[in-house]
This record gives sequence, structure tokens and C-alpha cells, in this order.
Amino acid sequence: MTTNDTREITVTVDGRRETGVVSDRTLLVHWLRDALDKRGPKIGCDTGNCGACTVRWNGTLVKSCMVLAVQVDGDEIETAASLAEEDGTLSRLQQCFADHHALQCGYCTSGMLMTAADLLASGEEITEHSVRRALKGHVCRCTGYHNIVKAIRAAAGQEVPPPHGSEPREAEVR
Amino acid sequence: MLLPPLRYLRPETPEDAVAMLSDVDGSVVLAGGQTLMNMLKLDLAHPDALVDVHRIDALRGIEHDADGTLVVGAATTYAELARSPEVRRSHPAVAEMAAGLVDRQVRNRGTIGGNCCLNDPTSNYPPLMVALDARFRVLGRDGERRLPASEFFRGTLATAVGRGELLTTIEIPPMPQGSGVAHEHLQVGADSWAIARAVVRLDVADGVVADARAVLGAVYGSPLRLPEVERRLIGQRATPDLAEAADALQDVDVQTADDVHCSAAYRREMAEVQLRRAIRAAVERSVQ
Repeated sequence: MTTNDTREITVTVDGRRETGVVSDRTLLVHWLRDALDKRGPKIGCDTGNCGACTVRWNGTLVKSCMVLAVQVDGDEIETAASLAEEDGTLSRLQQCFADHHALQCGYCTSGMLMTAADLLASGEEITEHSVRRALKGHVCRCTGYHNIVKAIRAAAGQEVPPPHGSEPREAEVR
Repeated sequence: MLLPPLRYLRPETPEDAVAMLSDVDGSVVLAGGQTLMNMLKLDLAHPDALVDVHRIDALRGIEHDADGTLVVGAATTYAELARSPEVRRSHPAVAEMAAGLVDRQVRNRGTIGGNCCLNDPTSNYPPLMVALDARFRVLGRDGERRLPASEFFRGTLATAVGRGELLTTIEIPPMPQGSGVAHEHLQVGADSWAIARAVVRLDVADGVVADARAVLGAVYGSPLRLPEVERRLIGQRATPDLAEAADALQDVDVQTADDVHCSAAYRREMAEVQLRRAIRAAVERSVQ
């Protein structure tokens, strides 16, 4: 058995062509974080359950701890860093997460954002139920999910209750 | 987590894959990897090489033969099955099962062939494949074999796919007019690990069950077909009272085991509950 097999891979990550030498056994999440310093995908459970490492691979949502780096050679990977504008302006979805207190420690957030972006782009109907179902592959230990669901529905243009502590809206005062 | 040292191989065709699986010692098929990667991390599998078949076009795709047989490439993902209008029309149970599997990310990667070849007792598809009389096309050095589901699933984590062989295609015969298929599961959470599964297919003609399949999953080893229950279903009028046929389970020696989720006794009881529900649901679907 060859134990030190390595090969060169070229991957477009968040719109930039990246080249690296990886061992066959290297997981995509490790390459993204350790070699490219892309810290959007997090290592949470490392068993495909928590979704913190979620990225898009050729436009398809996957958990990057369940994929080998060599598998994505020649392909395109998007991390949460691709969501904001180049100048750092947050996307509508990200802004909704901020406005609705959809994060506390933030560890699950980039994965949540990737799935939320994927759901919103899919054309699927956005309801409380469909959002919760879409988030099935994610674990958040801070928020209790309510605000994440609200933020995603708000990003879809739906009316959701305002966050606690915000200015009461006119409709409510009346 | 660092995976054990291994080689990654990417064949271009099914024949290439078979050659690699035959020639490279300790090689195994990597399909969607949604179970295999975890097995590697947990040191439960120790392959020397992974043969990645996910991108082989000939192993992907959904077609219908002239007679209505659904022909699915083994590396077709759950997401592809779930969103296929053709599958939803011809074999709705196959699409529904895919739509309810694990989560969005896993559905994008996991494959029907991987699910069947793993044959974990809790796997979703094996009991459904038995109930639908699916056939499995397995390619080896000496050509292709075609196996019925009853011969394909061989026991816990075991199938008829031998060393150097590759599952290429799953064929599911057309559903007879008036047939209803239902699958009921008791799962640990939504779309999650199963404690007990039951799949029932009723082929109903003129209000009477002409043929039936009753299969349990997640109890032990391979899917468990229940001929005693089927006998009680066939020839009867398709009404919700048919659920009483599940009583026959009392006389079946259902092998099962305790695990972290429940006791064997609880699992056996829940299997019977799922079976009753599946019979009722299959009746409803058949007369629609």
C-alpha cells in the first residue's frame, strides 16, 4: 500500500483559482481551513451531523467533512465567504441573521447561511416548516433555532415578528 | 479527524472500476461517501484504496424501459430521485423515500446504490426494494449478473456483491394498475435513524388484493419478508380491516436485538405497529 500518495489539485474557491498538493486522505474541510485559511467551514462534529462545515460543491450543498479534497479537483467550491459583497457588505440573508439575532457564538452560522442561501435559491416554497426541514442537517446549541428560522423567512421577504428589544413597529403600537 | 492512509482512484467507466476493484488489494467502492467516510473515521472500515464511482455517467440517471420498468443508475443520488417528476409518477414510494432521507446535504451526495450495498439494518431502501421486486445488475470481470432483491441482500452489512464487483443498476418493475405502496417508520428523529420500518405493497384488482408484499426493515440483518402476512392479505377485500393481517407477526420468529435506542422487545412491538399502519396506508393508496 502506498501511504504517502499526494497529488496536485486545482479548485476554484469562492471565485479564486487555488492550487495545492494534498494527500489522498485529506478531507476537503481540512484543506479549505488549513491550507487556504478559509475559515467559513467549521469542524464541529466531524461525523456529518452538525452541518458546520457545509459548503457548495459545483452548486450542490454538501458537508465538507464528508468529502475528500481530491474529489473536488477541477471543481468549484463556495464557502460562506462568498455570500458577502467584495467590499464586505453583507448579503440580505446575512443582514437578516444579524437583525434577527440568529446567532450567538456563531460557530454554526456559516453552515446555516450556506443552507439558507441554497434553500432561498432553490425556488422551494418558504414556510416555517420548510425552513426547519432544510435546517435538519445543522446543529445550533445557542439559539434554539427560532431566530434562525425567522431570519431566513425575513430574507425571503416574509413578515416575521420583530426581534426582541427592537423599536416596536407602527402596526404593533397601533 | 485524520483518515487512515489510503489511495484514491477515479475510474472513468464501470469496466475501469471493476478492473480496479479486482486488481487493487483492499479497494472498496466510494459512492456518495455519506456512510463510508464515517466508517473510515471511526476505524470501522480499513480499505487501502477508494474507487470513486460517483462521476461515472453510466452509473447515474433515471430512465424508464418500454414496459415501464424504472431503471436507476446505482450512483443516482437521493436528491435526484426525490425531484424526478417521472419517478414521482411511476414509483412514488421510491421518490418519497428519497425525499425523507436524513438531510439536504446527505440527499445531495448519498446514492440509492450505496444505501442498498451498505445494507445496514436501518438502511431505508432495502425493504422497499424487496417489496417492489427490484432487480440488481452487478458487473464483474466475467460480465453482468442480474439478481432479485431476495438474493441481493444477504445479512447485516452484506450483499451478493462480491470482491471485484460493482452494482451498476437497479431495475424496478412497473407498478401494476391499482397497486398501493406504503412505508412506515419509527425513527429516532425526523428523517433519522430507524427503530423499525415496514413496507407494504398491495396490488388491488376489482377491490381485492391480487398480490401483496409485506417487509420489515431495521429489525435485524437484511429486510425480513413476511410470507405469512402476505398470505393473509392476498384474496381479501382491500379495506382498512386488512391491518389485522399483522397479527400473523405473532407467529413469526422476528430476530432482533437491543441497541442504544431501545430493547429488542420494544423494537418487535414497534415493527408490528408500523406494519399495521403500512397495511392501512397501502389500502388507502391502492383505492385512490
